[in-house]
Amino acid sequence: MIKITNLQKFYRTEEVETVALNDLNIHVQEGEFVAVMGPSGCGKSTLLNIIGLLDDLDEGSYVFNNVEVAKFNERKRSDLRKHNIGFVFQSFNLIDELTVFENVELPLIYTNVPAAERKKRVEEVLEKVQIMHRRNHFPQQLSGGQQQRVAVARAVVNNPKLILADEPTGNLDSSNGNEVMNLLTELNEAGTTIVMVTHSEHDAKFSDRVIRMLDGQVIMETTTV
Amino acid sequence: MNTENIKTAWRRLKNNKFYTAVNVLGLAVSLAAAMLIILWVQDERSFDKFHHDHERIYKVSSHLVGDGTKNVWLGSPSPVANLARENTNVEIASRITYDGNATLRNDSTHLKVSNMRILHADEEFFSLFNFPLRSGQVNTLFQQPKNAFLTQSTAIKLYGDENVIGEIFHFDDEQFTVVGIIEDFPQNSSIKANVILPLSYYAQRFTEYGGNGNWKTIDEDLGNYGFYTYMKLSPTASSSDVTNFVNSAFLKARNGAHFVDFSLDRLEDLHLISADGNKSALHVVQVFSIIAILLLAIGAINYVNLSTARSMESAKGIGIRKVIGASKKQLFFLFSTETVVIFFTAILLAVALVFLCVPAYNEISGKSLSFALGNMQVWLFISTAIVVTLLLAAIYPALQLSSFHAISALKGQLGNHFSNQTLRKALVVFQFSISITLIISTLIIGKQLQYIREINLGYDREHVFTVPLPYEAVQHIDAIHQELASVSAIQSTSLSEFYNLMDYGNATGDIEWSGKPASSNIIVARARIDEKFIPLMGLEFVEGNNLSGLPADSAAFVVNEELVKQMGLQAPYVGTEMSLHNIPGKIIGVLKNFNFKSLKEEVSPIVLWTHAYSSTLYVKTSANKTEEAIAAVAKVYEKYPSDYVFKYNFLDSQFDDLYKSDNRTGLLFNIFSGIAIFISVLGLFALTTYAAQIRIKEIGIRKVLGADVLGIVHLLSKDFILLVLIAITIACPVAWYLMNEWLSSFSYRTSISISLFVSGGVIAVLLAYVTIGLRAMQAALANPVNSLRDE
Ligand SMILES: Nc1ncnc2c1ncn2[C@@H]1O[C@H](COP(=O)(O)OP(=O)(O)OP(=O)(O)O)[C@@H](O)[C@H]1O
Ligand SMILES: [Mg+2]
Repeated sequence: MIKITNLQKFYRTEEVETVALNDLNIHVQEGEFVAVMGPSGCGKSTLLNIIGLLDDLDEGSYVFNNVEVAKFNERKRSDLRKHNIGFVFQSFNLIDELTVFENVELPLIYTNVPAAERKKRVEEVLEKVQIMHRRNHFPQQLSGGQQQRVAVARAVVNNPKLILADEPTGNLDSSNGNEVMNLLTELNEAGTTIVMVTHSEHDAKFSDRVIRMLDGQVIMETTTV
Repeated sequence: MNTENIKTAWRRLKNNKFYTAVNVLGLAVSLAAAMLIILWVQDERSFDKFHHDHERIYKVSSHLVGDGTKNVWLGSPSPVANLARENTNVEIASRITYDGNATLRNDSTHLKVSNMRILHADEEFFSLFNFPLRSGQVNTLFQQPKNAFLTQSTAIKLYGDENVIGEIFHFDDEQFTVVGIIEDFPQNSSIKANVILPLSYYAQRFTEYGGNGNWKTIDEDLGNYGFYTYMKLSPTASSSDVTNFVNSAFLKARNGAHFVDFSLDRLEDLHLISADGNKSALHVVQVFSIIAILLLAIGAINYVNLSTARSMESAKGIGIRKVIGASKKQLFFLFSTETVVIFFTAILLAVALVFLCVPAYNEISGKSLSFALGNMQVWLFISTAIVVTLLLAAIYPALQLSSFHAISALKGQLGNHFSNQTLRKALVVFQFSISITLIISTLIIGKQLQYIREINLGYDREHVFTVPLPYEAVQHIDAIHQELASVSAIQSTSLSEFYNLMDYGNATGDIEWSGKPASSNIIVARARIDEKFIPLMGLEFVEGNNLSGLPADSAAFVVNEELVKQMGLQAPYVGTEMSLHNIPGKIIGVLKNFNFKSLKEEVSPIVLWTHAYSSTLYVKTSANKTEEAIAAVAKVYEKYPSDYVFKYNFLDSQFDDLYKSDNRTGLLFNIFSGIAIFISVLGLFALTTYAAQIRIKEIGIRKVLGADVLGIVHLLSKDFILLVLIAITIACPVAWYLMNEWLSSFSYRTSISISLFVSGGVIAVLLAYVTIGLRAMQAALANPVNSLRDE
């Protein structure tokens, strides 16, 4: 599903040029659950953003679902993104002015799903993450764990083929964290591909495969049992 | 625009009540103030424009020959209209004249209504002007000399009803029949009256009274400039050709005696540019138009500043939406909705404010303005302002949206944060430059108005009132003086020709003395006084003496310094022989210059003598005795029955009347400056709040590290105070230039001192410091634990 070869990514500021990703290669099969680990600053988030088409790459090739997307323009990327990829962030990134229901509904609005259909799908997914009873609350009125479940619900409401999660349990205690991990596992079992960045060996155990990075390169891959 | 957008906008506004309030309030107040000014300007520009073909209607004024434009009579002789009709380019010419202070009597109820203005109109009047009739027909007025039209409100005053066709009233010892009712003259008409009589009545009376010298009919009388001549020229006519035509026709009629030059001025222009070329009314209109634009600019700047400042806050929301898949267009509409909601609310509030303020505004401005929702000009102006504001406010968010990086936005960063801040600073400087300019101007205008109030006119105007006496009383003036002399509340009385000592305009060029250069074109004012006038008013002599009250006075002139200067005489002046209107005599006294005209003019020459008819009684009383004195004069007045009603006028209030429009303008200027300053300060307050908010974590950390409150106040305020200082340096020269221009319309003007600029600057800095300080203090005093935990 994802095939990245010889990826280079630099950050240039006035004084210095940082090599964030250096000649990196990655393959992810459809239906896989991959965890990405490595010390802080090794380029995990950068990689995830590139996979998610939020950021562009400087060199290399990126084939997504058999299509070369490295040179896609903003519009094409946005199109691809909203139909195929869901995001979960460490800091939940819900929209403060929208209720739980409306936050989850938003991706459906952007993909022009009719209202009745939207309602059905949002309710389904809220049911699944067990937050239905809070559907009319605003994000600030929820606990961190609840907020992250809403974020997961929003990421999957469009039935994306791929979910990208950047330290999804980073701001949660272990029981809330486990709930989120269970949710992701369920989704993966239902066929969704997942790429997750994490610092936690515990969370990494939920995945099929762990990719370890250092200084912008993959240094080791291990398959979990 | 879909419901998601409206919902989101509404919630964002609700969650940020403070910004919403500042935005809506600032915009609404500036829109409302601008709308009020536009109404005022519209009214000022609308004078005499309600007539058909108003752009082709001209009025004749008479300029004394040799005097440039200074001595202008607004009237012209009656035959001028006849002469003008000879020109094929004159489509219609009409002449009118007024009776200023008439008393009408309802014969059946004996009700008297005084202070009525009578307009004697010729038959062309109603074809030239649009003054609609409510009942009756135009031609009936001219069928009989003693037919009359009343205005609606005059009819109601006199009869209590407007259905009064056929009723009789008494005026001038004659009976008139009401044959029509016209609409009240519009407030923005320069032609105004309560009653219209056919000119034939006036003409008949003129001839009965023996005419004017050798001229026995009004169509012959070339010497009375009390008529107003109007004409409509053909669309292709050149007004200067017609002017030349009228001038040469008149010169021929007067057998070459050249006293005046006529000018033709467009009637619709005369309200703002008077016949003598004085454009001060026009300048006031221009200044107010500019203030309206500045007010809108200040309100717009608040909006732009707050919305760009807040776009940082929106960045995260934009970032999330982009990640989820929102297109640029969708984002643009999302944030436009918020703007639309703000502007819509602001406009509603502004309209409500305008309706609420119009009565008080009319009181202050002395107008009767009203705001109609269908006033297209106002809306055009307002919508232009809004479009400009929106463009300004949209440029930056739009740039941000295009150069937008979703990931950095999620971290709360925006690409062009720097330029954004620079824009905001520039706008604050601009806004404060305007405010400071207005503050300084307000101070200078206030100083000038005070200067005028306190200026020494050359006489003592306190406790003096005047009473116009009817002919019946003037005949017995000695008895009146005698009777009033015994009243203890009255110090002195005098009869003079000065109907208004502060604005007196009886002037002539008919003065001779031996050695008068052929090129001299002195125009001299003349007024009859008696021997008691000069002491009563406290006029001071530089040489010679007062009139004696003896028969020898008939060959005596008291003149002012300006006259002897312009005559080119050398001291001693007393004894110099001269003649006025061919009446010979000697100068017996020279007075120090005193102001008998508006302070906008220099003192001009004047001769005081004992000829001509005078009918204004001057009464000098003292503090606390004015009531008693007025009652005594009223009692004497009633002894000589006439058509007129007793009326008195204190010199003080005449003085105030003279500068009423200046004082009004000054007051309006103060109010609108105040509003501009209020909005600027409001904006500064919001920006400081914003700055404190985004630096809340920094403030917390600094406090934990040991910063004190003052240090933090300084940290937050120094940027803004610097901006205000820059604004002061911009505002000072601008204010100096503008105020110099304004002051130049006064002959007597106060000096512009440095201290005014310093005060203006200090006021601005204080305002800014208090505003910022309050907010900064609050931020500085907050418990750092709270702000740190917030993240
Ligand atoms: N916008 C940026 N500008 C400049 N350098 C950047 C930027 N974003 C990331 N970097 C640099 O790129 C490198 C990789 O950053 P990245 O955020 O991918 O690390 P990370 O592995 O996600 O670390 P962490 O575990 O702390 O989240 C780091 O050295 C970082 O300093
Ligand atoms: Mg990271």
